[in-house]
Amino acid sequence: MAEVCSPLRLPLIAGRKQPAAVTEDVCRPMLRPPSILWWAGFALAFSLLLMGVAAVGYQIATGVGVWGLNTTVGWAFDITNFVFWVGIGHAGTLISAILFLFRQKWRTSVNRSAEAMTLFAVMCAGIFPIIHTGRPWLAFWLFPYPNFRGPLWINFRSPLAWDAFAISTYFLISAVFWYIGLIPDLATIRDRLKPGLRQRLFAIFSLGWNGSYRVWRHYEVLYLLLAGLATPLVVSVHTIVSWDFATSVIPGWHATIFPPYFVAGAIFSGIAMVLTLMLVARKTMGLEDYITQRHVDAMCKLLLLTSGIVALAYATEFFTALYSGNPYEQFVFMNRAKGPFAWAYWTMVGCNVLIPQLLWFERVRRRLVIVFLLSLFINVGMWFERFVIIVTSLHRDFLPANWSGYTPTIYEIATLLGSFGLFFTCFLIFCRVLPVIAMGEVKAVLSHGNGKGGHA
Amino acid sequence: MENQYWRSLAEREQPAAQELEFDGPGNSRRDFLKAAGFVLAGTALSGCARAPVEKAIPHLDQPGGVIAGRAQFYASTCGACPAGCGLLAKVRDGRPIKLEGNPDQAISRGASCAVGQASLLGLYDSLRLKQPLAHGKPAAWEQVDREIAARLAEIRKAGGAVRYLSGTITSPTKLEMIGRFLAQFSDARHVMYDALSVSAILDAHEQTHGARILPHYRFAAADVIASFDADFLGTWISPVEFARDYASRRLPPEMSWHVQFEGRMSVTGSKADLRVKAAPDEILGRLERLAERIEANDPAGDELAARLLRARGRSLVVCGLNDLAAQVLTNHINHLLGNYGATLDIERPSLQRRGNDRALADLLAELQAGRVAALFIDGVNPAAELPAAPALDRAKLVVSFAGSVDETSQHAHYICPDHHYLESWADAEPVRGLISFTQPTIRPLNRTRAVIESLAVWVGQPASAYELIREHWKDRIDWDRALEKGCAEVNVAAQAPRWMGAKLQRRAPAAEGYTAVLYPAVGMLDGRHAGNPWLHELPDPITKTVWDNCALLSPKTAAALGVRDGDVVRIEGGVAVELPAVVQPGQHDRVIAVALGYGRKASERFANIGPRWTGSKPTVNENGRVGVNASPLLALEGGLLRYERCGVMIATTGRRIELASTQAHHTLSVPTHLAPPDGKVRPIIREITPEELGKPPEHAEHHEELWPDDHPYTGHRWGMAVDLNACTGCSACVIACQAENNTPVVGKDEMRRRRGMHWIRIDRYYSGPPDDVRVAHQPMMCQQCDHAPCETVCPTLATVHSDEGLNQQVYNRCVGTRYCANNCPYKARRFNWFNYPSNDKLANLVLNPDVTVRSRGVMEKCTFCVQRIQEAKIEAKRLGVPLKDGDIRVACEQSCPADAIVFGDLNDPNSRASRLAQDARQYRVLEELNVRPAVHYLKVIRNRNGKGGQDHG
Amino acid sequence: MRSRVLTIVLGIGVAFSLVVLASRASMFHLPANHQGYEPVQPIAYSHRLHAGELQIDCKYCHFGAEKSRYAGIPPASVCMNCHQFIKAPLGAIRAEDELAAQEGRAPREVVSPELSRLYDAVKQHRPVAWTRIHSLPDFVYFDHRAHVNAGVVCQQCHGPVETMERVRQVSDLSMGWCVNCHRDANEKGIGGRRVNASINCSTCHY
Repeated sequence: MAEVCSPLRLPLIAGRKQPAAVTEDVCRPMLRPPSILWWAGFALAFSLLLMGVAAVGYQIATGVGVWGLNTTVGWAFDITNFVFWVGIGHAGTLISAILFLFRQKWRTSVNRSAEAMTLFAVMCAGIFPIIHTGRPWLAFWLFPYPNFRGPLWINFRSPLAWDAFAISTYFLISAVFWYIGLIPDLATIRDRLKPGLRQRLFAIFSLGWNGSYRVWRHYEVLYLLLAGLATPLVVSVHTIVSWDFATSVIPGWHATIFPPYFVAGAIFSGIAMVLTLMLVARKTMGLEDYITQRHVDAMCKLLLLTSGIVALAYATEFFTALYSGNPYEQFVFMNRAKGPFAWAYWTMVGCNVLIPQLLWFERVRRRLVIVFLLSLFINVGMWFERFVIIVTSLHRDFLPANWSGYTPTIYEIATLLGSFGLFFTCFLIFCRVLPVIAMGEVKAVLSHGNGKGGHA
Repeated sequence: MENQYWRSLAEREQPAAQELEFDGPGNSRRDFLKAAGFVLAGTALSGCARAPVEKAIPHLDQPGGVIAGRAQFYASTCGACPAGCGLLAKVRDGRPIKLEGNPDQAISRGASCAVGQASLLGLYDSLRLKQPLAHGKPAAWEQVDREIAARLAEIRKAGGAVRYLSGTITSPTKLEMIGRFLAQFSDARHVMYDALSVSAILDAHEQTHGARILPHYRFAAADVIASFDADFLGTWISPVEFARDYASRRLPPEMSWHVQFEGRMSVTGSKADLRVKAAPDEILGRLERLAERIEANDPAGDELAARLLRARGRSLVVCGLNDLAAQVLTNHINHLLGNYGATLDIERPSLQRRGNDRALADLLAELQAGRVAALFIDGVNPAAELPAAPALDRAKLVVSFAGSVDETSQHAHYICPDHHYLESWADAEPVRGLISFTQPTIRPLNRTRAVIESLAVWVGQPASAYELIREHWKDRIDWDRALEKGCAEVNVAAQAPRWMGAKLQRRAPAAEGYTAVLYPAVGMLDGRHAGNPWLHELPDPITKTVWDNCALLSPKTAAALGVRDGDVVRIEGGVAVELPAVVQPGQHDRVIAVALGYGRKASERFANIGPRWTGSKPTVNENGRVGVNASPLLALEGGLLRYERCGVMIATTGRRIELASTQAHHTLSVPTHLAPPDGKVRPIIREITPEELGKPPEHAEHHEELWPDDHPYTGHRWGMAVDLNACTGCSACVIACQAENNTPVVGKDEMRRRRGMHWIRIDRYYSGPPDDVRVAHQPMMCQQCDHAPCETVCPTLATVHSDEGLNQQVYNRCVGTRYCANNCPYKARRFNWFNYPSNDKLANLVLNPDVTVRSRGVMEKCTFCVQRIQEAKIEAKRLGVPLKDGDIRVACEQSCPADAIVFGDLNDPNSRASRLAQDARQYRVLEELNVRPAVHYLKVIRNRNGKGGQDHG
Repeated sequence: MRSRVLTIVLGIGVAFSLVVLASRASMFHLPANHQGYEPVQPIAYSHRLHAGELQIDCKYCHFGAEKSRYAGIPPASVCMNCHQFIKAPLGAIRAEDELAAQEGRAPREVVSPELSRLYDAVKQHRPVAWTRIHSLPDFVYFDHRAHVNAGVVCQQCHGPVETMERVRQVSDLSMGWCVNCHRDANEKGIGGRRVNASINCSTCHY
C-alpha cells in the first residue's frame, strides 16, 4: 500500500496515538479519585448553587418584588439570564450536529463536552421563565393540556408559549442526541470497570452494546438522523426567543432583524463558553493531544465570524432606527449610547465587537491564555447585550411620565451567580463520571492526517 | 348517617363557638365580604387542601327592603371638610362601601373630591376610640356623663368661664344645641376657627359691608377671573363646587379668562390662562395698583384691568391671603366692578368658613392666663394646627369630642368620641338657605355618641340626634322629601348688606429674603385626615410626591442653594423646620412652599405599612411620622392666622431623604443630549388655541388601515372621552377608583420603587419657558385598545378582548409573566409584586364586594369598572328596558368635579362619549402605533390672549 | 403453548384492571370540585317535603333570586310564616290525640324535634347557621338575577332539589360546565326565546 500522506491534511489528534491509548487517556481521569483542583472547583460551584437556591427560595416565598423591577421595567436580570443561557446552549448542537453534517472531523474531540454544556446551559435557562413569573407554581399553565375550563387553553400567538415549546424540545433533542453519542463509550467503560454498582449502571445505560458491525451501522444511521433532526433547532430556538422582543411594540424590541441577530449572538456566546471550558479541561485533564491548537484556532475563527455578524446587527439597528424617522425608535438608541445605561452598552460593544478583533492575528489565536481571557470577555459582553436590549428599551418608553430606572437587588445577583453555580456543578460532575471525549469518534479519526493509510 | 360527606375534618368537629366569628384561619377576607347578607364562618384546618366549610347564616328577621347583594344609596352630606358637599353613600349589606356626589345637591352637583372619597376609609379606622375615655382610661358613658355633669355644676356655681372651641360648624341644629348648652353658664363663649382660615375675608366684609359674612362665589357667572393666591380649584373653601362652576365656562365661545397671581404652583395656577409669579408680599401691591386703575377707570395698559373693566358685573376677583388689607382691597375692586350680587352672592352667603381668628387669639390668651374653667374641643386639633399648642393644662376641665386620640385630645380630661359622619344623623347649611342632611348608613361601629346627643345629656334633656334634628326642622321642611333628596331649600328672610366703603391702609413695600408659604395640600388639607393611607399615597397633583411634605423651591433658588430633590433643608424664621426639598418649576424665586397637615400623630400608624421584606424601608421618617408638621411656621398676629412668613432663612443640612414620587421626568421634550433628529417633543398632550378651534381642522394625519377590522362590535362598544382642558388634576378620580376597585396601599418604599398600584394616574407635564411654565394634567388609565399589545403576548390568555371592546384582565388565569405590562405603551398595567391586602379586618370592610381582591403575582389594571357595566346590564335586562346612556357611570367619571371624564357606548351615536369622540379637539394618545385606544382625549385649549370669551379686544 | 396461556391470562388481568381504573377515574374529583357535597344541616329541613310534596315555589323562600346576585337563605321569619302554626307532622298530632283520648286527658302540644330547633333559634335570637353547599371561588361572580329572569329553571344548575331530603351539589360548577351551558343557550335559546348568554371572561371574572 502506498504512503498516502498529504501535507494538506494535518493530524486532528496529536501524538500519533493508538486507539488503546485514547481509551486510556480519556478514562484515566474518570477512574482515579478527583484532584484537589476538582474539589476546589466543585466546592466553589456548589456553594454558588446553594446561594442561588436560597435566593430563589426567598423570592418565591416572598414575591417577585424582592427583585429591583418596577411598573416600567418588568423584566431585567431574569430574562437577561434566560436569553444568555439559551445562547450558551447553542454551541453544543451547532458543533455536534451542523459540523457533523458538514463532515468537520475536528469536532470529534470537543462535541461531547460541548453537548454536555448545552444540556446544562438549557437547564439553567429553563429555570428563569418559571421563576420570573409571579406565581411559579402555576407555570404549567404555559403548556397546553386538557382542563375543565371550557374554552380556555394557551395563547398560541404569544411568543412565551412558543418559548416553552422551543426550550423543552431543544432540551429533549439535545439530551437524546448526547445520550446516543455516549452509548459506545459507556460500553467501553463498562468493560473496563470492575464489577460493582458503577459497572451495573454503565451496563444498563450502554443498552447491551457489543460493538458488532451491525450495532455500529445502526448507530451511525441513527446518529446521522438525529444530527439532521437537531440542526434546525440551532436556528429555531433562538429565533423563537428573539420573538419575545421582536413581536412587541416597544421601541428597541420591535425589530425584524432580531432572529438572525440573536442566532448569531447565540453561537458567538456558545463558542466562547466552549472555549472557556475546553481550555480549562484541556489543561487540568491533560487532553492537550485531543484538544489541539487546531481546534482552538477553528473556534477562534468562528468567534471572529459571529462577532462580525453581531457587530453588523448592532450597526443595522442604529441605522434602521435613525433611518426610520420614528422618534421613539430613534430616542431608544440615542438613549442606549448616551443615556443612563450607556456604560452597559459600551461594555457590550467593547466585549463583543472591539476585543474579538484581536483574533485576526494568528499570534493571538496561538496564545491560549489570551484566547481564554478573550472568551471570558465575550461571555460578559453577550450577557450585557441581552441586558441592554431588555432594560434600556423598557426604562424609557413612550410616555415620559413613565420613565424610570432599574437597579438590581442582591437577590437578582445571587440568582445569576446561582445559575452559574448550577452550570459548573453539573459540568464538573460530568467531567468526573462520563468520558469528556467521544472515544469512539476520536478513534475513527486517529489516522486522519497521520499517514497510516486506513480509511482516509 | 353513614354516607356523610365533609369537606374538611373541621366540619366534623364543628366548634360551635366559632360559628359566628367573621372568618377563621385560611379563609380569605373576601369570603366574608362576598357572602353578602350572610355571615360566613370559615373553620378550615390550616393546610387543608379542600375549601373551608362556609356557614351561611341568614337574618332572623330580614329588614324590609334589604336584599342580600343589592346596593342601596342613601343621600348624605360629606363631613370631611366644612364645604358640605352632598353625597350618595352606596351601602351593601349594611356597609357603606363607596361615596358618590349627590347630583341633587347644589354644592357637589354629583361630584366629590379626593378627601371626601377617602373619608369613607376613616369610618373603618381601627384607631377610632371604642368608647369614651376618662383621664385616658376607657370609661362608660354614664360615668363620663356623671363626672362631667358634676364638674360643670361646680363651674356653674363658681361662675367659671366655659369655652366651646370648634371648627366651622355648618349644622344649625348643632349650633342651637351648643347655644342651649352654653346658655347654662354665666360666662360662656363659642369660638370657631378654621385651621385653613379665611377669617380676613369675613373681617373685611364686616368692615366694608357691616356683616361678618363670606360671600358665595359664583365662578360660573364670571367672564374674567382674577385670583390672587386663591387655590379655588384645589383647596380653597369649596373646591368641588368652584371646580364645577369654573369648568362649565372653559369652552369657547363662552370661555372665561383666568389670571392667577401666586407664589407657589397651585392646581388653580396650573389651569390659569395667564399665571403671574407673585410672592405673597407683592400681591398687596398688585391689588393696590389694580384698584387704582379700576378706580380711575383707566387700564393704563394693564391687560387684566382692561378686561375687568370690560367685564363689569361679569368678573370676579378673589384673594386667598388671610390678610385684612388685601381682602378689603379685593372687596373694593369687586364693588367697583359691580360684582356684588352678580358673581359674589352676599344675600345668601356661604357658611362654609366661619372661623374668627381674633376670637381664637383671645381664647388662647385666656387659656394662657388660666382664666378658662372648662374647655370643650370639637372637631379641631389646635395643638397640631396652631403655631403653638394652647395651654390646655391650665383649664380645669378639658373635654374633647375627637374620634381618636390626637395631639390635642391626649391632653383632655375626657374624650367623648363623636360618631363618624356616616354613622350619625346631622344637618348642614353650607350656604344660607340650603339645608343638607346626613343620615346614618351603618350602625355605629363603636360606643361613640354624636356631639349633639352629648350636649343634650349635659343640658339635662337627653334626646337622640334624630329627634333633635327632626325637632329643629319640624314644620320648616318636608322631612321625607328632604331625606330622599339629601337636601332642602328653606327661604330665609335675607337682604344683602349694603356697601359701607372701605378704609384702605397702605402696607410696607415688599419684604426681602425668602418667604415661607404654608399651603394645604390637595390630599391632606388641614391634616384632619392624616391617618388616612389613601390620601398619603395620593400623588400631589403638582409635585407628584407621596408620603411626605416637602420644601418646594424654584429651580433658580434650588440651584443657588445647590439642593436637589430630597436634600433636607432647614427653614428658619423664629422656629426651625427641616424638610426635604423639591424643585418646583413655575414657583417664585423668593418663595418656599411647605404643605400643612403632615407630621401628625395619626400618621405614626404607618410605620409598618406595605410589604415587609429584607429590602423594605419604613414609610415614616426619623420622627416616626409621615412628613413634618409645618404649623410652627404659622403666625397668629393681628388677630389673623398668617400662612406666609417673610424673611425666613434656608440652609442645607447635608442630610437626604429618599422621596417617593410617581413621576421622574416632567416634560414631554426628551433630554437635549438624547434628542433624536425627529421628534424632540412628544405629541402626547396636544394643545389648541380658540382661534385654531374656530377654523375647520386641516386633518393631516390619516392612517391607512392594513388589517381587516378584527373587532366588529355588534352590541355595545365601551369607550371614554377625557377632556384635558377641563381636568384640573384634582385627583378625585384616583381615590374614587381606589375605593371602587380595591386597589391596595403599598407604602412609601414601594412607591419609591415606582410600584404604585393606582389604576388611574394623572400624568403632569410642564412646558414653556421657566418664567412662564405651562402645565397639563393627563388622566391615564387602561386605554382598552382594539389592537391591544398586551393581549397578543399573554401566554395563558389571561388578558383577552371582549365583544364589547373591553380589554379583560382575568386575575385567576394570570401567572404573572409581566409581558403584557412591558408591552403596554401606556404602562397602564399594575403588578402585584407582593401580597398587598392588609389583615386589618375592620379596614377591609371598605372593600368593594363586587371586585376581586387581587393576590400576589397577578397583573391588574383599569377595567372600565366592568362590575358597574355588568350590574347595569343585568339590571336593565331584569327590568326589560334598554340600557340608556348615563346608566353606567364609572367611578372616576362619577367623582370628577370638572366633568372631564365621560364614559359611554361608542356604538351609540347619541351617547355623550361618542359625540365627544367626534369633537374637533379629539385625539388619541399614541394612535400612530395603531393600537386603536378606546379612550379619546380632547386637546387643551390655551386661551392666553382670551380669544375664547366674549370680551375680545 | 404455556406462554400463550400466560399471555391470555395477563391480557385478561390488564383488561380487568383497566376497567377498574376507569370506573375509579369516573369517581375522581379535582380538589376544587365539590360535586356531590351533601353536608348535614343544623335542621333536617326537607326540600322534598316543602318543594316536592307541598309544591312551595323555590322563590318563596329564596326570594333574592329574581332581584339580587344571591338567591339568599330565608330568614327564620319566613319559616315562621307557616311554622308558627304548624308545629309537628299531622301523624304525630293525631297519635297524641288518640293517646290522650285513651288516657282520657287533654292532648298535649306536640312539637317536632327539628322544628323545636327553629323555635329555639328564634327564642334565643341566635340565627340558624346553615352549611353552605353551592359556593364558587372568590374570583367568580355568578348572578342569580340574570339567570332566573332569563328563564333558566333552578333545577338546571341545582338539580332535582324537590326530590332531595338533604340538598346535594349536583353540578360540578366548573368553568367548562358554565361555558357549555352558555353556548347551548346562545344556540338553542331558553324556553324558545333567543338569549345572549355572553361568554366574555368579564361576564364572571372581575
